Amino acid sequence: MAESSITESSIKAALEERLKATHVKVQDMSGGCGQAFTTLIVSPEFAGKNSLKRHRLVNAALKEEIAQIHAWTAKCQTPEEYQKEKAATGGNDGPSFEGTSGGKVEGVSQ
Amino acid sequence: MSTIKDITTLEDWAQHLASLPPTTLLIISFHAPWAAPCAQMATVLSTLASEYPVTEPPSTSWVAIDAEELSDVSENYNVTAVPFLVLVRDGKVLETVSGSSAVKVRDAIETHAKGTSASAGPTVNGTNGIAASVEAKEVNTAPEDPVKKKEELFKRLGDLVKAAPVMLFMKGTPSEPKCGFSRQLVAILRENAVKYGFFNILADDEVRQGLKEYADWPTYPQLWVDGELMGGLDIVKEELASDPDFLKSYSVKADVAATS
Repeated sequence: MAESSITESSIKAALEERLKATHVKVQDMSGGCGQAFTTLIVSPEFAGKNSLKRHRLVNAALKEEIAQIHAWTAKCQTPEEYQKEKAATGGNDGPSFEGTSGGKVEGVSQ
Repeated sequence: MSTIKDITTLEDWAQHLASLPPTTLLIISFHAPWAAPCAQMATVLSTLASEYPVTEPPSTSWVAIDAEELSDVSENYNVTAVPFLVLVRDGKVLETVSGSSAVKVRDAIETHAKGTSASAGPTVNGTNGIAASVEAKEVNTAPEDPVKKKEELFKRLGDLVKAAPVMLFMKGTPSEPKCGFSRQLVAILRENAVKYGFFNILADDEVRQGLKEYADWPTYPQLWVDGELMGGLDIVKEELASDPDFLKSYSVKADVAATS
């Protein structure tokens, strides 16, 4: 399978531009092949929207990218929620790695 | 358009059999109310049936039988698992399809409905089947208009997402998931003792692509609740994190008291 031209930075840039994201963390889980991404997206645009609507916003913003990649996981938070979670978890604010393999091993601290 | 007739007594069954002309293709669907894939198969079959016009004499006859209620009939046709489809013409069993592959069921019915199996061997092997349906397509009087096809597909999807209060469209089956995210979602549903119907989108490419458009959602697995898209794995996890009881009303525990 050919590599896609999608990279962590291209996704980050797209989100910052199209969703006014204030904080984005993107991890390529496919070992650099640009095929699987897990993300954390913080944007004020999520305020007042339920989970489904937030994801739809992201899907619309990254329509072409998502259509090309094989696996996609996103955590969508407003800046307030992000700050709250950061405080509660003592800085563990990364995207979810649950259930993935080939990425970071669970329990590894930054 | 044909509809599926529920046969509930042996008398009805005998009467129905006796009334069939030898040219009619009899499509028997064996089901059990407790088996989730049967709900999905019922939807697939009623959609298929609606594509066959009622003719005189009837070209097709569609019946549904509860495999446990009418166990004599099930034994007659060697039904050991549900859903189970039996195709009969002039008293002879032409083909059976076990399991919930919508593709296999559709192919089997389309092949035999054209009535071209009169010649050669009684069983349908790969090449015969393909030859029959290629021939049949030329004689097909139903419009191949793409707009109508899409309307029909969307109607079919509309029924499919409501086949059960909780419907999971996944890659693979709950016992054999073919993707990490699908596997995780199955595990979550199991942990929460949720009663759900499932559809293996790897077995039906029309649904696989069509549902992405119908739902305006690009990925699988997809969880639908009460006919509406809930979302994928991350959304379900998020909802559970903020409200651990959100799937409670769909759990198996709700009707434990009713079972024997």
